[in-house]
Amino acid sequence: MAENEAKHIVQQLDSLKANQLTQAPQLLSRAKLALLNLNALVPSEDTPPTHLALASGILERGALISIKLKDTDSFTRYYQQLQPFYSLNNRSQNQSKVTGLYLLLLLSVGDYAGFHTVLEGLELSAGKEQIEKDQFIQYPVRLEQALMEGSYDKVWGETKRERVPSEEFGVFSEVLIDTIRSEIASCSERAYPSLPISNAKNLLFLDSEGAVIQFAQARGWVAKDGRIYFPQQEEEALAAEKDVMSNSDVVIENTLGYARKLETIV
Amino acid sequence: MADKMDVDAVNGEKQEESVGPAPDLPPERIITNNFALINQAVDNFDSRFTLRALRSIATLRKASNFPDALIAGIRTAYPKASNRGRQILEELLPEKHQQNGTSASAGKETQEEQTHPEIWAYLGVLVQVYLHDQGEFEKGAEFSENFVERIRSWNRRTLDQIGAKAYFYYALFHENLDPKPPSKQSPVIDTRPKLLAALRSAVLRKDTDTQAAVTVLLLRNYISTADITQADLLVAQTQFPMTASNNQVCRYLYYLGRIRAIQLAYTQAHEHLESATRKSPTTGPAIGFYQQATKLLIVVELLMGDIPDRSLFRQPALEAALYPYFKLVQAVRVGDLQAFLKCASVNEPQFRKDGTYTLILRLRQNVIKTGVRMLSLSYSRISLRDICTRLGVDSEESAEYITAKAIRDGVIEASLDHQNGHMVTVPQKDAYSTTEPSEAFHARISALLGMRDDCVMAMRYPMNKHRQEIAEAAKARERERELAKEIIEGEGDADDGDDGGFEGM
Repeated sequence: MAENEAKHIVQQLDSLKANQLTQAPQLLSRAKLALLNLNALVPSEDTPPTHLALASGILERGALISIKLKDTDSFTRYYQQLQPFYSLNNRSQNQSKVTGLYLLLLLSVGDYAGFHTVLEGLELSAGKEQIEKDQFIQYPVRLEQALMEGSYDKVWGETKRERVPSEEFGVFSEVLIDTIRSEIASCSERAYPSLPISNAKNLLFLDSEGAVIQFAQARGWVAKDGRIYFPQQEEEALAAEKDVMSNSDVVIENTLGYARKLETIV
Repeated sequence: MADKMDVDAVNGEKQEESVGPAPDLPPERIITNNFALINQAVDNFDSRFTLRALRSIATLRKASNFPDALIAGIRTAYPKASNRGRQILEELLPEKHQQNGTSASAGKETQEEQTHPEIWAYLGVLVQVYLHDQGEFEKGAEFSENFVERIRSWNRRTLDQIGAKAYFYYALFHENLDPKPPSKQSPVIDTRPKLLAALRSAVLRKDTDTQAAVTVLLLRNYISTADITQADLLVAQTQFPMTASNNQVCRYLYYLGRIRAIQLAYTQAHEHLESATRKSPTTGPAIGFYQQATKLLIVVELLMGDIPDRSLFRQPALEAALYPYFKLVQAVRVGDLQAFLKCASVNEPQFRKDGTYTLILRLRQNVIKTGVRMLSLSYSRISLRDICTRLGVDSEESAEYITAKAIRDGVIEASLDHQNGHMVTVPQKDAYSTTEPSEAFHARISALLGMRDDCVMAMRYPMNKHRQEIAEAAKARERERELAKEIIEGEGDADDGDDGGFEGM
């Protein structure tokens, strides 16, 4: 009964067109209710395999639809719900896709610790070969490597439409570009004394010089005579902080501390 | 890995063997002597005697007639064949030894006394050891399951040390059952609820031995199936007992270091691993643990951008085991990306076995950073094209972004000239004009002072000693008062102007 209903909803979900996606959440919650009736929303040892496949199929569809709707919270929820299914060792077709998307999500919010934790788990449970030939997993891994070493042009290249492994991954491109842009900006502030606006346009992957000036203003840079001048105070402030004379009170405090300790020891 | 941990477990006992029973005693004598020790522990409520009894396990398990001795021990403790405890234990030992055992203890049938549960638990641990050494993991797992439950239900503080050992073997047996850990169907996952329950009762009963042992086992369990998040949550939600034995502290720190390294918290990981390697024994059977911890420490140190000391690789105990890591460090030190990649792929099986491979892959960016630093140190001005070729990066743009990032991260002091396409190194500043030397000095002094404080706190004071001292002091005061009284009485008739002064003494 409930099984038929769930199957029916799956069909409905698959036949949804791109502009009808907003109806999907309702269908999904009905599907989840059906799963609950089947007692298959959380897998247990005696859940029949057909129900398992049905449940993970529905949850995976839910995850992918959430990504398309840019609802990352609900995507994370689906991902967490899928974990018990994945640990039961029957690989479903979309498993690596969902995992890859989750990795990309972690990357786009800058949660590198979470990224590596998930990756470590994958390496151990799936084995190396599995991961290396899996394009959905390899994509975020490549991106992370490029981000960490600072080859931002590679990241830029990867986010182009034709390099993205599937359309869901494209959703993150925008976020990633914003991330690298702000990374590049913070690097440039320290690395260049000044920069011609035309070069800055290429460096920051912006479309026009007007966009560069807008961006510069947002970051508090000074743009004049066709060049961008970066503010320098930060470094000077740091240098002053490290100066011996300016924090003699710390030195005095430390020395007094030593004296007190010596007293207690001797 | 299981063997390493096992070896490590034995080690603590091994170190202080000279304190325990003389090694040339026959094993059955050692066991019966230990009964006396355990009885003493129960009567005096002093765990040191129990620990001493457990210490001899290492000697016992190596003895050729260990099963016979074990049977003899069981029969001595439980002379009646109908005793349930005796039957449970004997069922697990092979028949032929039982025949031998009968003759050994034939004459002792007469004595009958109430035996403490501790004795039974001790024998149970010995049976676990025996089953483990025989490779009978199935049987051992089954027995341990009931055994730990029994120990927990007794709820006796004098059982704690034995209980901790029992849990250790309980986990070890399950780890050796198929399918082995990295698989998500491994039986270790089924042991989690039991271990967590044990942890809960241990905390409620203030049973620090079991608490420490079970926390470590749980961490090991989680890490073995790569459930790092759960392991991290466990660490965050529990407190590791301060009074845990050194071996447990070592392991706890090692696992903690591992978790933090995976989470990219290298500074913390480094701290934990450094204490783990320092606390761990560097010789004897625990060398496996030391090597393992040092390997991880080296990788973490590299990830932090430090280069481990050359002398580390010269230690005889580590030299052979660390050779692949030595090569790795060499590649990272000179910033040679090609050599690094080659080293990583050649030694991949070894690194995977050590569980450091994923961490080593992260080193790529560090190699590049070191390369940039070397270039910046050697040239005051270098073109981006040259940087690109020397680092082995794909494009000039990449090289530019990489150097810009290195400047931002404070790896090098330099600036970039985009139009002419080169990097100009800023001359080094005098470090002594800053507070850096004094900060380093302060860090060292604080570390030493901290160590002294720890030493003072770690000293063992005999129980109730201070009461005795107070009593003595009171007596001394009493005497003084009497003396004063006598003096007053003696001087009373002469002059009593300042007798009030004595009162204050």
